[in-house]
Amino acid sequence: MSDHSPIDFSMVIASAVHDMKNSLGMLLNSLDELRQEPPDGLTDSSRFNTLQYEAERLHSDLVQLLGIYRLGEQTLSAHIEEHFVPDFLASHLARHQPLLSGHNITYDIVADDINGYFDDDLLTGVLNNTINNAIRYTRDRIRLTAIERDGYLVIGVEDNGQGYPEHMQKDGPVSFKSLDFNSGSTSLGLFFASSVASLHRNDDREGFIRVHNGGELAGGIFEIWLP
Amino acid sequence: MTEPSSNVHDNPFRKLRYLIIDDFESFRLSMRQMLRTFGAEHIEVANNGAAAIQRCTYEHFDVVLCDYNLGEGKNGQHILEELRHKKLLKRASLFLMVTAETSKEMVMGAREYQPDAYLTKPINRAMLEKRLGSLVEQRRTLLPINRAIDLENYPEAITLCLQSIGKFPRYRTWLMKTLADLYQRVGDLSHAGKIYADVLAQRDLSWARLGKGKVLLADQRYDEAVAVLKALVADHPDYMEGYDLLAEALAQQGRLIPAQKTLQKATELSPNALLRQKQLATVAQANQDMETASSAWRKTVQLGAHSIHDNADHYLSLGTTLCELSDGDTSDVGKAYAEDARSTLARMEKRFADTPDVTTRSRLLQTRLHAGQGDLGAAQSCLDSLSDALADVDSLSADTGLEYARTLFRVGKDTDAKSLLGKLAQRFENDGDIIQKIENLLDEPVGFRQRMQARDLNKDGIKAFEAGNLDGAATAFREALAIVPSHTALNLNLVQVLMKQYSGDRQRKALLTDCQNLLATLSTLPQQHRQYARYQALHKKLEALRS
Repeated sequence: MSDHSPIDFSMVIASAVHDMKNSLGMLLNSLDELRQEPPDGLTDSSRFNTLQYEAERLHSDLVQLLGIYRLGEQTLSAHIEEHFVPDFLASHLARHQPLLSGHNITYDIVADDINGYFDDDLLTGVLNNTINNAIRYTRDRIRLTAIERDGYLVIGVEDNGQGYPEHMQKDGPVSFKSLDFNSGSTSLGLFFASSVASLHRNDDREGFIRVHNGGELAGGIFEIWLP
Repeated sequence: MTEPSSNVHDNPFRKLRYLIIDDFESFRLSMRQMLRTFGAEHIEVANNGAAAIQRCTYEHFDVVLCDYNLGEGKNGQHILEELRHKKLLKRASLFLMVTAETSKEMVMGAREYQPDAYLTKPINRAMLEKRLGSLVEQRRTLLPINRAIDLENYPEAITLCLQSIGKFPRYRTWLMKTLADLYQRVGDLSHAGKIYADVLAQRDLSWARLGKGKVLLADQRYDEAVAVLKALVADHPDYMEGYDLLAEALAQQGRLIPAQKTLQKATELSPNALLRQKQLATVAQANQDMETASSAWRKTVQLGAHSIHDNADHYLSLGTTLCELSDGDTSDVGKAYAEDARSTLARMEKRFADTPDVTTRSRLLQTRLHAGQGDLGAAQSCLDSLSDALADVDSLSADTGLEYARTLFRVGKDTDAKSLLGKLAQRFENDGDIIQKIENLLDEPVGFRQRMQARDLNKDGIKAFEAGNLDGAATAFREALAIVPSHTALNLNLVQVLMKQYSGDRQRKALLTDCQNLLATLSTLPQQHRQYARYQALHKKLEALRS
């Protein structure tokens, strides 16, 4: 008798994505090592930077994909702890530093000395994605910000590029239904960010994202508001 | 943008001693290179767990950077546990676990000894400098507290924590967690509880909910503890420590079936923590669920291969559960269980050759294995081979004594078994746990299948009694007693039913004689027995009915 049990394709995908993500992790590791090896002409090579950028982007996309899979399975929950926000942001920028220097992008952090409550793994996923985007669309500047506003911790990623197109600008939750899988840009990243934000709750308040343009750098602004 | 820290005069990296543990040379080299550029001078490397532990035995390190996945042998978590357990690495030293993203989930389920931080690969120089920099700074700030804890000067550590909370808001979570933990160590539950309550009043944080549950459990407020922990795992289904503690609270309530279910869920989610598997095995065994118990013991034994928690008892318990499963079953299935048990014991004798009692306890179990497979001759000669080792019963450890008694019961020497248990009970009269084990063995000196049968009959009897069906109850209790005649509670259950039957029909004098005979078998019941008060009450009631 042949086996007619149905294929659980989402599980197949999830486990394949897991493998791919780990392979990319190894690849990124090697790229980092290569960059450190003399002669350091590599750092200036735009092809090398593209290689690393695309690998980073793929990696963070896969991390995000796994997160969305776990959202669907309802096994994603936020482990909220208290973190010192400037440290958190600094270690994030540090991760992207080789690439930022490679692209001649200047960067800074404008953050109050505050503690925030969030799941650092989940937020890492969101920030990696957003910073990758900013690297792609900025002209030559990126700024990470953190302030407390109306009882929320607001973490922002700003750049001095063209800004977000009209259809991507958000102010509040992004529902799965609103995603347009026929167009080239599905805003899947924003959906993930929005989902992560709403996993952060405090009493009856829920986190959310805002995507708009302007600010001091006069480019795109991504903000995640955490209660 | 940042100034190279090696130029800074007062470089925090420079004076510290580092150990890098990784099985890949290229990683060790690049890590060492990065640390050098930060200004570190004392850097040692090790390429596997054994070498790392050896190094830590003779040298002091302030920062250990350890890869989780080290190929064959110990992994990073094994190393962390062994170093902390043997106190080769003080609290004042940092242990950083380097993980690929896959292994992170495996590491997270660890039962005890969390690393000070996880560093996720890929790691670049800028990132390591930031991360390590803030950890080193944190270590420096909190050093006096950790030193006091290392010296077990908890009151001093508490005072320092209290002073630091206002001063270092950035380490507030660490300070609150540590403070609550210290209060529990000195037994001040109310202060510990207050910290968790204060934190929770501000913010719903899972570590504080876990802490609240821990304090309630230590305070023996089991119902409240169970409620808090149930809600915690419902909100955070991947919070392993929540399950562990919930199972403990349920077990304390005497609700072993839900405790087992909780642990089964936890081990499904995170199968690689030895102590969790052991907890599951113990609870399942108490529930007479031998299949679950033996597979959890097997997992415990496997996980012990590289662990500081490895113990001959795990092998013996695996052997015992397999022996139970094989007992009286001479089919191929039963034979396979017995064979499995024997090979487990053989592996144990090899691995723990120097541990006292191991051979003796192995032979005792082999005796029962022979008996369970119907080979009484082999059983007897196996037991005879121990006559020297067991000659002086007053020098036996409690565990060995209990095993000896269990074996004597199995080969039909009930009188010898009981007298041995009597002596043990005298010697260990102040040890509640041992006394309990002795009572349990005396109550049910039979295989687990019979034990289950007797327990089911007992339950039927109680149900019938509660439904007012006295005849049915009496029959069920009698059938149960045919299997475990010395079971104290069962005997008393039957007495209770018979008395009630008599109160309904005073003509049936024979019932009272039955009661008297049953109680006479319990006349030697020691005062500290759990059922003693009940025995006395029924005894008095019988006297009253007879007069």
